[in-house]
Amino acid sequence: MRRRNITAENTDFIILCFEGPDRYSLAGGLGVRVTNLSQALARMGFPTHLFFVGDPWRRDEEVSNGGRLTLHRWCQWISKYYPAGVYQGENEKLYDFNESIPPFVVEHIVRPAVAQEKLVVILGEEWHTAEAMCRISNLLYSNGFRDRVVMFWTANNTMSFDRINWDRLSYTTTITTVSKYMKHIMRGMGVNPLVIPNGIPKSLLGKVDEGAAARLRRNLDADLILAKVARWDPDKRWNMAVEATAKLKARGRRTVLLARGGIEPHGEEVMANSRYLGLVAKEARAKGDTFEDYFDAIKGHSMADILNLKFYIPQKFLRVIYRASDAVLANSSHEPFGLVGLEAMAAGGIVFTGGTGEDYAISFHNSIVLETSDPKEIEVYMMYLEEHPEEEERIRRAARRTARQFTWEEVVENLIQKLEYQARSQGLLATPRKTPALDPRSLEFEEAVPEATPVGSV
Amino acid sequence: MAEDLAVYAVVHQPRRLKLPAQPISQGAKVRDIERCLFDEELNERYFRKVAMYCYYPATEVFLELVNQGFKLAIGFSESFLRQAEAWDKRLLALFQKLVRHPNVELVGVEPYHSFLPLFDLFMFQRRIRWAQDNLEKVFGKRPLVTDTTEMLMSDGIYHALHGLGFSGAFLDGREWVLGWREPTYLYHQGKDLMLLARHYRLSDDVGYRFSNRSWWGYPLMADAYAHWLRETRGDFVFLAWDYETFGEHHSKETGIFDFMWRLPEELSHRKVTLLTPSEAIAKYKERSFHLPLPAYPCTWAGEGGMEFFLGNPVQQALFQLMLYAYNKALLTKNRGLIDLALWLSQSDNLHLIQWFGRSGSDAEVSAYFTPKEWWNLGPTSIAWEMQQVYKNFIKAMDAYL
Repeated sequence: MRRRNITAENTDFIILCFEGPDRYSLAGGLGVRVTNLSQALARMGFPTHLFFVGDPWRRDEEVSNGGRLTLHRWCQWISKYYPAGVYQGENEKLYDFNESIPPFVVEHIVRPAVAQEKLVVILGEEWHTAEAMCRISNLLYSNGFRDRVVMFWTANNTMSFDRINWDRLSYTTTITTVSKYMKHIMRGMGVNPLVIPNGIPKSLLGKVDEGAAARLRRNLDADLILAKVARWDPDKRWNMAVEATAKLKARGRRTVLLARGGIEPHGEEVMANSRYLGLVAKEARAKGDTFEDYFDAIKGHSMADILNLKFYIPQKFLRVIYRASDAVLANSSHEPFGLVGLEAMAAGGIVFTGGTGEDYAISFHNSIVLETSDPKEIEVYMMYLEEHPEEEERIRRAARRTARQFTWEEVVENLIQKLEYQARSQGLLATPRKTPALDPRSLEFEEAVPEATPVGSV
Repeated sequence: MAEDLAVYAVVHQPRRLKLPAQPISQGAKVRDIERCLFDEELNERYFRKVAMYCYYPATEVFLELVNQGFKLAIGFSESFLRQAEAWDKRLLALFQKLVRHPNVELVGVEPYHSFLPLFDLFMFQRRIRWAQDNLEKVFGKRPLVTDTTEMLMSDGIYHALHGLGFSGAFLDGREWVLGWREPTYLYHQGKDLMLLARHYRLSDDVGYRFSNRSWWGYPLMADAYAHWLRETRGDFVFLAWDYETFGEHHSKETGIFDFMWRLPEELSHRKVTLLTPSEAIAKYKERSFHLPLPAYPCTWAGEGGMEFFLGNPVQQALFQLMLYAYNKALLTKNRGLIDLALWLSQSDNLHLIQWFGRSGSDAEVSAYFTPKEWWNLGPTSIAWEMQQVYKNFIKAMDAYL
């Protein structure tokens, strides 16, 4: 008998991604996304397997969330040669990922699940998993399981799109992406992805430590605090942020930009630009992992215009930074989704987004949407908000309300709707039919109306 | 007319490369480098297939035949022995039983089936000596006669083998080597090391042509073949084949096993005596003939010269990489890396791309040996990816220098 819906009892989830929850595996928003997505699925009761390029010195398999979430750390034998993180030795890891995950998934997860009459959903994230997804599909087909598995592959970014065999990928999987902006880029390439947005964990909707936020403001002793958390990448418009800082400083407003970048070389260009603009940049390094360590690292830089935060910042402290700042500059020129913007909104931050993939952003309602790359635009809006504190407060409240609509629980509901649509197309789920309105004159036929009429065959 | 017959078969499985080439991590340990170079999953699959179709049925047939008086010389590459040890110990035990039989002579083989005799005769000597000791350990018999790789023989190889004290070795009896001579006599090049020349036409009647329906001799029957052997001018005929001829190159359905069953009886009717290579040497040593060997090696593959392995630009490029990998490994002085370089010197890697840019029966044979899993890549990518395996290895050795 076919199921009517995807439920925790009848469905197993498998997620493939290069990034994952280990610090070794976290390079950007992707790692955060799969960590939260896998945990949300497990919390909702779905047996979930996350395959990622994990820390080579941790256990290769780890079970959590009451046995519902299994982390599979892959490529560890290669990662031990590449201590700098998930993308060091990328090609070596990719080969192993493509070669060894498909047979493992099919033999150790899909086969037993199918034997229990369960449905399996496989989600592949980003270009690194495109080949593995195709190979899994082929293996499933040759084992006679392909029609028992729903496969979604998601583009979170346009990186390495040239390395994807799109015909093959769209033949073997359902392609999805995270925003309308991405959808329209991809339509130009001949694919028409479904849009399933990113999400944030519900825990981010909790109250921010206001005391810590106030302490941060005191320590910085600035008129205006800007924050920016992004890779050092020209797409992230770091120079626009630095130039806006310089303009605000030139207005006589003591301004500090809290900058948290990555390991990319563009960071050096940005710092050189800031020196050229007459800004003083200092590096802040924490000695430990406590709030005290972070405050110690930040204070004592009273001359700094740019404070380059050179330490790992946990989400809890990031939220303090977002809340304490007058603006969080998520001003990318190309932003597939903009998770930082949404996280900052959940913390009640004022987010300045770019104008690309942030479907959630409505200018002057819950955020400020920048339309140009002109630093003057930031400068002008900053001055406007400073002069209208009531407007600023209203945007902060609206931002938190918006963030509530993008929790992973909400996003997973959306995802499941789309998976069910695909599962129905494959004949894995029965197609519901509208029950005809009862005609009081023909009550004797009531029992003849089926609950759900199966269409097609499995 | 030839009254005696010596039969030799070599058992070998290549250690196939992993294609597409797997990138090797910087600073990778030897065992991790090895994991990236060779496709052991593929090797196991082919090993098991050949074991089922050839090794088991053929060995059962030969066991029965030697019990009835048939004589056989047999050689094993280390490449095969490692695979049997890893994946089918029962098969190895069956071969040990066959080799223990007094009618079976164990023959030495270059252990990794490598092209070492082409570029480092000193190391070649060490490896052949190692194989001799190892074969004695595995089978309880010490080889006194030796093969090389693909039956390579040249002036240099002859002297290298003579220095090891073997009583005999093999070469392919091609006209360009023998000149006016017949392959049916025992030869030497001035030293104690005797040379048995393979009768390539009669060997290839079974090895290549047995199942060829367009061959004029098809279908080959044991009585006709025995007749041809008996009517051959000379002292003795030396036949040599891949062991995989029986059941793998020619499937059971071609009648190859029935042919072998009948052959001893037909030989006996014609008073042809079977000898082991050592017995042939003992019998004919006193009237062996001088044979000047060429500086260029001859081989039993293709037309008998190195053009089978080095005849196209892709093979020549790969051979250069083989040499470079080997010499760089020597520079590291790391035994594990030198061992990997020797594995990469396996002749099969050049054999498998003989077809590149060629057609005809040799190319068909070469393409037959190319794993079918590789053909998805297409011919050019096969060649490219094979080169990439060597380049990756060469680069990976930087960490050891």
